[in-house]
Amino acid sequence: MVNYATAAVEKAGVMRGLVSTNRVPLGSEIYNRLLETLYDEAAALDERRFDDWVAMLEEDLLYTAPVRLTRNGPNKDRDVMRTMMHFDDNYSSILMRTGRLSKSAWAEDPPSRTRRFVTNTRVAECETAGEYEVSSYLYVERSRFDVAHNETLSAERRDIWRLVGDAYKLARREIIVDQSTLGMSNLAIFL
Amino acid sequence: MLQKATFTLADGATLDDLVKRDTNEVMLRVMSDEELYKLEMERIFAKTWLLLAHDTEIPKAGDFVVRDMGEDQVIVTRDRNDEIHVSLNVCPHRGMKVCTAEAGNAHAHRCIYHGWAFRPDGSFIGAPVEKEQMHGNRLGKDQLGLKKARVQVYGGLIFATWDIEGPSFDEYLGDMKYYLDQLFCRTDSGLEMLGPPQRFVLPCNWKIPGEQSGSDGFHTLTLHRSLMEGGVMGGTAESIYDNAPGMYGVDVSCEQGHSLRCLEAAQTFKMFSDISFEGKSVEERLAMLPPPGITKELIPQLFKNLSADQVEQLATIPPQVGGLFPNILVAFIFAPRTDGGSSGALALHTYVPRGPDKVEFINFIFAEKDAPEQVKRDMLQNSIQQTGTSGIIEQDDADTWPQIMRNARGVVSKDITLKYQALHGHERPEGWKGGGLLYPGFTKDDTQWNWWMAYYNLMAEA
Ligand code: FES
Ligand SMILES: [Fe+2]
Repeated sequence: MVNYATAAVEKAGVMRGLVSTNRVPLGSEIYNRLLETLYDEAAALDERRFDDWVAMLEEDLLYTAPVRLTRNGPNKDRDVMRTMMHFDDNYSSILMRTGRLSKSAWAEDPPSRTRRFVTNTRVAECETAGEYEVSSYLYVERSRFDVAHNETLSAERRDIWRLVGDAYKLARREIIVDQSTLGMSNLAIFL
Repeated sequence: MLQKATFTLADGATLDDLVKRDTNEVMLRVMSDEELYKLEMERIFAKTWLLLAHDTEIPKAGDFVVRDMGEDQVIVTRDRNDEIHVSLNVCPHRGMKVCTAEAGNAHAHRCIYHGWAFRPDGSFIGAPVEKEQMHGNRLGKDQLGLKKARVQVYGGLIFATWDIEGPSFDEYLGDMKYYLDQLFCRTDSGLEMLGPPQRFVLPCNWKIPGEQSGSDGFHTLTLHRSLMEGGVMGGTAESIYDNAPGMYGVDVSCEQGHSLRCLEAAQTFKMFSDISFEGKSVEERLAMLPPPGITKELIPQLFKNLSADQVEQLATIPPQVGGLFPNILVAFIFAPRTDGGSSGALALHTYVPRGPDKVEFINFIFAEKDAPEQVKRDMLQNSIQQTGTSGIIEQDDADTWPQIMRNARGVVSKDITLKYQALHGHERPEGWKGGGLLYPGFTKDDTQWNWWMAYYNLMAEA
């Protein structure tokens, strides 16, 4: 378990890929359906269809984004700091956020125009039947107001998608952003 | 005490043109002027006390974090004697960064360029090839250390200044110490930072968030309207302007430019939970609505660490938001949760200049060290959801500031003035125990104007 109660840097996390070795091969039916789901999700968020997005989320959702820290020496690869996060959300706080976006959230009114590019998708089976680890790369271009220059963000997403009925739903997402100092001026958008 | 301005910009503008003390106006161009920015780095950021870190970030000997004082990068370290040092992160040999990490532990910092090495206290250890004296023979080793700043730790907060002989930290805090103690020095073990700070860069001048932190309560009604809509701020979306209990209180300020908004705990949350403090003792009040971050078990510690007057204020009309001049925001927010908890959010921000048109927003998140793990966990989540990168409060601020910045560049718009003309004048509420300049009632511009007066005074000193 993550200890959230200390700033000590030794609690750092190392970047690591999929945990499970039970790979779901590219091009298989499950892989294709999950990839399609990621694309559908990106479209729902880019088109600001938040009800459609929330319908893709499980109620036991954990949605987090640890901070990165520039480190050197023996700790140089342990730079994912799970003691502090940019997002630390669950299903109900996500509902609070999407609810706010439908009212006076000036940070997204007028809204950003966004494109979420999802690539390098790798899938593996979890121990629990019907659950899949899905790791993907995320690149976001975000246009605000009439500013000619986009804000961008790159990250890796570590997801767990669960088969519910005939659809996959998001049960866990960890967003590993690449910048230690974010160049995006707020995170009023979802990653 | 006020002096005449001592600089003239290339186009002839003086400090008195920019900050108009007779009419309480400030020219918008101050937010974009490059010449002025250079003067600010010299007269404010190279002189006054600046907040860099918290001592719980560097608990062990050798621990360090790298932070910035204006645009000068420094290493904040703890040595074997438990002393904290702040040294310029610039190698005296050829100017390389001595420390290339943001945080870590090292008993010697070795420059990767030619290998000069320094102790955590900044002193020079040696250069490689000692027998050839690669550090030269003109200066003694005691003259080859990193440049050191003067350090003060207050309530665990690590401050530093380059003004070695200048005003003491107590002089810098002035009358605000009485109120700040209620936030930072109230429990036996004090505050703990819950993880490394969140950092992000915004395209705006540091003074835009800086002056807002001078206790601009008024913008809460409009810019942070979603807090009312979410039922967090006491009012409702429909009654924001008629019934905005969170807007009334006592704003406290001082000539050093610091300020805090003190809001009646019971009044602020009347709409949320019908609490009445009528006829209740200080102990009962604290038990009914403890200040953010304080659990029932910690209440006895308040009486131990604070004076009776300070505890009474904390139980009744606690400081909740405000700022320390020049670039710090204080947020000790009551945050009732939908699940019935009310652990609150404790955060500090610093706004670090990154050029005239850029600022780095650093968000430090805290809990009381002696609070139970679950409370710390709740407070971390609450603070992240309210403040900083994804926080619903500062999402809106971070979207507003760059647009003010953009306007400050227009050849016509740069000459309009910012108006600080909604003023109370200070007045002491009956029975008020603390010092400072006091502004009871609806929050107005007085404290922000005091922020500009502190700015004026520093900028006027050559
Ligand atoms: S620049 Fe640091 S050793 Fe040469
Ligand atoms: Fe604000």
